[in-house]
Amino acid sequence: MSESIAHAPAGTPAATLPGTPAGTPQAQTRHAGDTTGAILRLAQPQARWFLPGLAAGVASMLSAVALLATSAWLITRAAEQPPILYLSMAVVGVRAFALGRSAFRYLDRLSSHDAAFRQLSLLRVGVFSRIVPLAPAGLADTGKGELLTRLVRDVDALQDLPLRVVQPLATAGILAAVSIVGVWSVLPAAGLTLLVSLVVAGVLGTVGSGLIAARAERELAPMRGNLTGQVLEVVENLDVLTAFGALPGRLTALQRADDLLRQATLRRSLGVGVQGAVLSLFAGAATVVALFIGIPALAAHEAGGLAGPAFAVIVLVPMAVFEVFGMVPAALGAWREVRSSAERVATAVPAAIPVEIPVEIPVEGGTVRTRGERAPVVELSDLGASWPGATAPAVTGVSLRLGPGDRIHLAGPSGAGKTTLAQALVRFLDYTGSYTIDGVEARLLSPSEVRAVVGLCEQRPWLFDDSIRQNLLFARDTATDEELLAVLGRVGLAGWAAERGGLAARVGERGALVSGGQAQRIALARALLADFPVLVVDEPTANVDEETGDRLVRDILATAAEDGRAVLLISHTPVPDELITARVTLAG
Amino acid sequence: MRPLDPRLLRYASAARWFLLVGAALGLAQTLVVVAFAWLLSQAISLAVDGHGPAELAPTVGALAVVVVVRAALVWLLEVAASRGAASVKSQLRSRVLERLAERGPDWLAGTQSAGVATLVGQGLDALDNYFARYLPQLLLAGIATPILVLVMLWQDLPSGITVIVVLPFIPLFMVLIGQATQAVQRAQWDALQRLGVGFLDLVGGLATLKIFGREARQAERVRTITEDYRGRTMKVLRVSFLSGFVLELGASLSVALVAVSIGLRLVDGSLQLGVGLFVLLLAPEAFLPVRQVGAQFHAAADGLAVAEDVFAILDDESASPARPAETVALIPASTGPTDAVAPVLDALRFDRVRVRRAGRDGPVGPVASEFTAVFRAGRLAVIRGASGAGKSTLVAALQGFVPFDGEISLGDAGVMPGTPRPWLAWAGQRPGLLAGTIADNVSLGEASVDPALVHRALREAGAGELDPASRLGVNGDGLSGGQAQRVAVARAIYRARLHGCRVLVLDEPSSALDPEAEKRLVTGLRRLATDGLIVIVVSHRPLLRDAADQVVELNGPARV
Repeated sequence: MSESIAHAPAGTPAATLPGTPAGTPQAQTRHAGDTTGAILRLAQPQARWFLPGLAAGVASMLSAVALLATSAWLITRAAEQPPILYLSMAVVGVRAFALGRSAFRYLDRLSSHDAAFRQLSLLRVGVFSRIVPLAPAGLADTGKGELLTRLVRDVDALQDLPLRVVQPLATAGILAAVSIVGVWSVLPAAGLTLLVSLVVAGVLGTVGSGLIAARAERELAPMRGNLTGQVLEVVENLDVLTAFGALPGRLTALQRADDLLRQATLRRSLGVGVQGAVLSLFAGAATVVALFIGIPALAAHEAGGLAGPAFAVIVLVPMAVFEVFGMVPAALGAWREVRSSAERVATAVPAAIPVEIPVEIPVEGGTVRTRGERAPVVELSDLGASWPGATAPAVTGVSLRLGPGDRIHLAGPSGAGKTTLAQALVRFLDYTGSYTIDGVEARLLSPSEVRAVVGLCEQRPWLFDDSIRQNLLFARDTATDEELLAVLGRVGLAGWAAERGGLAARVGERGALVSGGQAQRIALARALLADFPVLVVDEPTANVDEETGDRLVRDILATAAEDGRAVLLISHTPVPDELITARVTLAG
Repeated sequence: MRPLDPRLLRYASAARWFLLVGAALGLAQTLVVVAFAWLLSQAISLAVDGHGPAELAPTVGALAVVVVVRAALVWLLEVAASRGAASVKSQLRSRVLERLAERGPDWLAGTQSAGVATLVGQGLDALDNYFARYLPQLLLAGIATPILVLVMLWQDLPSGITVIVVLPFIPLFMVLIGQATQAVQRAQWDALQRLGVGFLDLVGGLATLKIFGREARQAERVRTITEDYRGRTMKVLRVSFLSGFVLELGASLSVALVAVSIGLRLVDGSLQLGVGLFVLLLAPEAFLPVRQVGAQFHAAADGLAVAEDVFAILDDESASPARPAETVALIPASTGPTDAVAPVLDALRFDRVRVRRAGRDGPVGPVASEFTAVFRAGRLAVIRGASGAGKSTLVAALQGFVPFDGEISLGDAGVMPGTPRPWLAWAGQRPGLLAGTIADNVSLGEASVDPALVHRALREAGAGELDPASRLGVNGDGLSGGQAQRVAVARAIYRARLHGCRVLVLDEPSSALDPEAEKRLVTGLRRLATDGLIVIVVSHRPLLRDAADQVVELNGPARV
């Protein structure tokens, strides 16, 4: 059934062919190196949104320090028993700062969260736009459920950049600077002391304890990974381990791994509290040194030295500053997490599109097929395809001809590249060799144009967490409810939909309320609605038990063939001869 | 939410130890706080009174000592928390795993096994923050706050009363605001949940959207979803941030009230400066633990949620078969490959067997309706039945993983749930391979490996082409689905041959096999039957059905 109509010499590297990314903008490759930076920039809200929160945060922290400073001044001044009039400003100040501290803090949290959420939508849109050209083949490693969830969680975790990194660091920095200047203006030596103790505490408390923590983590991480792996293996295979009497041995091994990890953690525990202790120590040291400097200056009071109330202020302010400064280590910890999230996102969603994935070509007009025409003739000749990053092609040398009304069963053992072929046919992957649609080489068409003609029922069709109606409607958004119900009837789901309560019934998160066979039928219904002239069906029975699977294959072939559609059924299980017009087998 | 679940103390002795040490350290920390405030206020008031550096040296020196002790206590408390968390995690982990071994795989299937693995693996790490950040503050709130209030009352009655009056308002308002937040959240809950996963849904379904040419407008949809999410979340946050506001306000207002009242009493000379400063410094400290407990709410909630999940497993007393755990000890000592065992026990009988199995949402009805059949030695039997008829459940009953009514007997001996089954070799629907070599997998549960027998088992499973020395990753990574299935069958054959098991049960062994491999498997199974085993295969495949000596139809209540 396959006569080669080679438009391109077989084995030509895909990158040199027209329409492949070799000729796409250089900018993409150039930016690949600083992708992490680009992702991080995308996470930081613009000044217009960010500054109000920062201002409120600084005002709140300044109020906290000012509350203690004013209270100390008020009390010490009051002890000198001046006319009460002299104290009224301080009394007002104390009350105002007490209110200001909590009110500004509230505003700060509201405003900075709002800014972070606003940025989240820009961030998500930015990452999403990068994913669109890559999906699904370029996300092969992330395509599996759990990793995908991880990617999305990482994107959302980048919200912490403004909230838990930039804002606390900026607030603490500004507050420290203002306080140092304030204390300096009262007594320069005390200002200097505060500066030095903050810097030393900052360096020792963050860099020093960071090093200790990093060293501990280097030792503990592999042990933790080993333990987690063993736990997973035991829990997932509990039936097998029990049946083969291997459980006690495994549990002993697991206990050993657990003991090793615990002992290492206990050995490392001495380094854990260093950060808090350093901050506490230097906060105290700043106070003690301020006393040392202040007492002689106070003694020289009569000679124009320090007054009592001012003395109390410079001794007590360092305590309040250090309390605020305590959020710096947490912010640096959050920074490490945000950075690794950004790195993971950047790796999962590279800025440059791998050469194995075809890029969109601007439509020049004239070649787009209108749907519902006679099915075109699809011819493959010596077709091969590779996944991004793979060293060898996953499928090679496929030749076949699929004309109107043809129903071809593509068989082959698992690992022969059947799914790869399906992905290449809908141009999620680029190909070598020749793939023509009515004589036109597919790589000369835009991938989306090809997809308007060649449809795919995926091995794991995605069901959106929405109603049955919405899960069908995107295939043809002009369809009426009658048409939707009719198509559900054609794929054998009329009873099921009625039982659920009609088109408005939800399918559950990731189709949790739908069985594997029903999901395949919904995918088929979508394909019928979109009315693809050529339909590729990839392993419809992969997640279905055998008997249901036989009926499903029968129904798919019968229904899809009704309109003279060409169908390529990819399946490793046998298909009865009467259902198909030809059979092609891929070598393993 | 209870801040400290008593079950934590019951199940993990390390938690009791930590509470003791933490309480002692917390008490010491409180005394240090009092000493620091006392010495500092003395130093300031004496200096203001005109005392010189020489006279103040002892006070300042003592203050320096207190500063060092305070830092040491901060460090010790964190060390204790870290050690406590590590030990508690170990204790809970081994208790859960013991529990799993006791209750068996069927019970595990009734829970969410993926969840259990994550819980016992990384999930427990949530306890780190619970111990490091939350529990110490909770202890301090219980120890430091009352002591500090007492000291304030003793030193300056009006200030102490001010703090006593303000303090109870904080939890009161927190509870009220918490309830208001819950009401707002309940109103938004569904929408928030949906919008929360909306982005994931779009990213996950992107391939599907591209197939239908719908990818272009989705970025706009992402934006709309997220903006909607922002609007609704902010509505909730406006209320829930109020609790933080109340905490801060209570603490700072009482400091302000204390400061102003002290100031006014200093002016008329009814109070000493030293006492005034002392009380001023203590006032915020009295509120600090309470504020921290509020601020570390998330650390607490995560840790407690994990602990709650652990206790749910440990406390679960739902019906389940007695333990089939000592299987290993009761397998007869290995006597080497036994090719033809004299057929002393010649038949496996099922007599009106019904299985009741606990589902996720409590017990479901009888999965297998009454099942009666006899399987004879030397014959290959195939069990068929619609999906949901209870074929795998029946196999689980034979394995002793689920309780059943009726009778199963091998020869003249009854087969009880939960007793050891040295006579049974089994391969399930899921291959269940482990990290290690293929030979390790095939000889699972045996102390030593017999290479010749491994090779033979692989051949009889139709997987003779696989190299027993090749290494597999986690979950048998590195093999195709069909290869993994055949290795799992080889594992059952190895056990059957090594121990002379009477019964070999295979659940859907060829669902991922191509016809060629399936033929080789059938040949292997026929040979095992010829050697005198009772071979039972659950399958729909025509090839197996045609090769069978006996086909049993299982008609259960269909639930598709």
